[in-house]
Amino acid sequence: MTTPDKVESLSLISIDVGSVNTRAHFFDNVEGRYRFLATGAAPSTLGAPVFDLNLGVLEALEQLQEFTGRTFLTDSGLLISRDNGEGAGANAISVTFAGALPLKVMTVGLLDEISLDSANMLVRSSYFRVVDSLGLNDRRPPEAIIDAICNTLPDLVVMAGGTNEGASRSVIRLANYLALALNLIPEKQRPQVLFVGNEKLHDEIDNVLGALTMLHLSPNIRPYLEQESFGPARQALNAIYFDLQSRKMNGLLELRELSEGQIYPAAYALGRVVRFLSTVIDTPKGMLGIDIGGLHTTVASAFAGELQLRVFPELGVGAGLPGMIAETHLPQIMRWLPYDLPEDLVLDYLYNKPLFAGTLPSTPEEMAIEQAAARQVMRLAIENSLSLFPPNAIYPMPGALPWFDRILVSGSAVARAPRMEQSLLMILDAIQPVGIATVILDQNNLVNAVGATAEIDPVMAVHVLESNSFINLGTVISPVGNMRGRGNPLLRVQIVHEGEKEDVVEIREGTIKSIPLPPGRVVDIYVDPLQNVNIGLGRGRGGWVRRVAGGVFGLIIDARGRPIQVPSSLNRRQETLNSWQQELITG
Amino acid sequence: MITPVSHVQSQTTLRRRRLLPVEGLVLVNDGDAVQSTDHVARADLDVRHLILDAARSLGISADQANPLIQRAVGEEVEEGTILAGRRGIGSRQLRAPANGRVVAINGAQILLQTSSESSILQARVPGEIIDIEPGRGVTIEIVCAWVQGIWGNHGLGDGVLQIVGSEPNQHLTADLIDISQRGVILVAGYCDERQVLELAAQVPIRGLVLGSLTTRLFPVAQRQPYPIITLEGFGQVPMNSVAFDLLANHDGDKATLNAQAVNPENGDRPEVIIPVKEANQSRPPETVQPFRVGQTVRVLAGLGKSRVGKITGLLPPSTVYPSGLRAPGALVAFPDQGEGRHPLANLELIV
Repeated sequence: MTTPDKVESLSLISIDVGSVNTRAHFFDNVEGRYRFLATGAAPSTLGAPVFDLNLGVLEALEQLQEFTGRTFLTDSGLLISRDNGEGAGANAISVTFAGALPLKVMTVGLLDEISLDSANMLVRSSYFRVVDSLGLNDRRPPEAIIDAICNTLPDLVVMAGGTNEGASRSVIRLANYLALALNLIPEKQRPQVLFVGNEKLHDEIDNVLGALTMLHLSPNIRPYLEQESFGPARQALNAIYFDLQSRKMNGLLELRELSEGQIYPAAYALGRVVRFLSTVIDTPKGMLGIDIGGLHTTVASAFAGELQLRVFPELGVGAGLPGMIAETHLPQIMRWLPYDLPEDLVLDYLYNKPLFAGTLPSTPEEMAIEQAAARQVMRLAIENSLSLFPPNAIYPMPGALPWFDRILVSGSAVARAPRMEQSLLMILDAIQPVGIATVILDQNNLVNAVGATAEIDPVMAVHVLESNSFINLGTVISPVGNMRGRGNPLLRVQIVHEGEKEDVVEIREGTIKSIPLPPGRVVDIYVDPLQNVNIGLGRGRGGWVRRVAGGVFGLIIDARGRPIQVPSSLNRRQETLNSWQQELITG
Repeated sequence: MITPVSHVQSQTTLRRRRLLPVEGLVLVNDGDAVQSTDHVARADLDVRHLILDAARSLGISADQANPLIQRAVGEEVEEGTILAGRRGIGSRQLRAPANGRVVAINGAQILLQTSSESSILQARVPGEIIDIEPGRGVTIEIVCAWVQGIWGNHGLGDGVLQIVGSEPNQHLTADLIDISQRGVILVAGYCDERQVLELAAQVPIRGLVLGSLTTRLFPVAQRQPYPIITLEGFGQVPMNSVAFDLLANHDGDKATLNAQAVNPENGDRPEVIIPVKEANQSRPPETVQPFRVGQTVRVLAGLGKSRVGKITGLLPPSTVYPSGLRAPGALVAFPDQGEGRHPLANLELIV
């Protein structure tokens, strides 16, 4: 990344309202570069007993004030002004939010695999739950469709269909069904409608639906059959999401006023950072970001500036745990536990956690259960994102992840692990990256702040991402392919630093190995596969990998194969899990 | 840090707003006394419609058909009623295929609502109607003793409270269930036997208040015909002593068990309501307050879950717990079991 060395930067506060915690981050100019200085945090107060998110915001700001010794709050409120100088208040503020239950949406399109698919992809980029979808191939009689709209009472209907030179009559026919249904719903409860189809139909759609409900017209998300364009529609969707949520979340409107409109859904902010990284890092590989929250999980990927964003509503490690439990067999959790724990105890913990989502694990065993659950939540999100990644990305083999250059992980469940090797193993076990990737941990939960604040000053995003506020855990090499079996030699790796060759390290299949390489150090490595595996240089092919950056765990060789197999017997499982962790501790 | 709160009140005045999900009809009047199972409002849900095309039925264009529609929006019609067409022998006509109501006319299309399921809104608490929102619902007020739960199976019931055993950790086993408990709400520590829940349904009891329930019984509990609530969640966790003592004081009193689901958006939680005489009535206490020394708190998770004690000191964010986590915490003194260190995140106020 190349950025201006020195800037006339602003001091910034970024507030992030999550389902469990509300955080206030402070960034300021230190020697001409933006630096993250401190975070104040407090429990979120969206729900009972407070029902106003601003109390949590105030508490977080008070803590921030305490940590920094700087006055942010006075009797006249929060000190935000472009005129504020050093020592008091801040010059600007941005806000992200993600703490609420998802909104209900119905999607309408023409063909299932085309416009309806695009409409579904659009709404899944934010905090919506699709309650019904209607397409031309729908076999229900029109009456049943109308009944479905009346009975599900969505908050929003997103309607796509028709390229800009394409279908019109079918789109209008669907709009007429929708109009009939809207007529039957009391005015105050009618869903808003976002039309993202054939732009030539805007007037006609307005005639059919405009008088019935709040209609939003946005550029076509499928202007041509082979082209999707989500940018403007995402912005429209964000605005609607804000509007609908602000009616349910007390305090949101005040935050918008305070931030002069710099308020975004957290997923949007994550997407912005991941997309940005893919534009500034010169690589044919993609960027991956995952934010695991208490209630929702978001996966963002970007290839050459093209963003794919997917929110998994009600899939998380707090109140979102039932979403994971519903799609998981207990052994998928138990396999990650290095303790001999009764299944009932694990189940009880997993069912209790959503009831008391803000609670913390108090014993090592509880910590292990939470970390196992976090692995499974991330795994489900990644598995369900495979269809999201573009077909022109480079895949080592069918069904695998594409090659990613960087993997950025955010969320307290991972970032707050007591030991950093626990964070790294959670990420590797869950995401199971392939090839060569750098793993970055958002240890301070800053990614949403960076994404939101980029609108105020894009340089800030660069400076903070380049700083040590984000922890580079290391560069991971994960060979994939048909392997011979645990214990067989798999790779030889040699580090070359400024022309000096270091010892050759041989890695055996089924192991994970950390080769010390401190943060900031950049080396070349020579990799020699001893089996017919692929690390991104071609099957069975080795060669030089240039400019490999160090990290907390240096160079990590994850030779455990894909998918990772964990022994089923308790003793071997404990031995294997402990050995993986121990290897990272000792290096 | 604002404390989460659970209420265990020996006497308070509760107000409960009951609203329909869609517009409907309020069935009670201001000042009415209601029981928990009384219907206070109803609305049409799960509606069914038929689209009838007059143009197609009459064999003419939509423009020609529209003036021939003989019914207006809002009219109730019976099966066979002429909806469109000219009167007279030999004229083509469109007749209603079922009883229903004309709810929309769009060109030549007539939308007939043929049936719907009524959604009944129950009071879910006994008390007096103190406010009516026309078409939407009511507010009910009651003076009562009140215990909030954390999980409920959605049921609702009234009965006489009966405490099983004398300790909050009473294990509810099948041999403790018998026919004499017909019509009562049982109160016990925890339950881990499927047979107990099924036997209780056969008696039948009117409700079950537990400290906890093992997770494997979750689906069994959900399908029982009587309400079940847990105060501590899942597992083999005893009931917290404050709630147990209050319920034990009302052994033999009539109570309502409202096992509604937790709703984070409106603060709904399952609850036990025990009507009391209107003496010294008070409003619910102040709930928005930070942790302080001297407060009575309950342990929500981890070691000592469900124990109730008093905060004797606050601990800094650098405090390390056996899990390895660092977090602000509190020293909590328990009446008969010493003192423990707990993250603030694992505590809530009992008021």
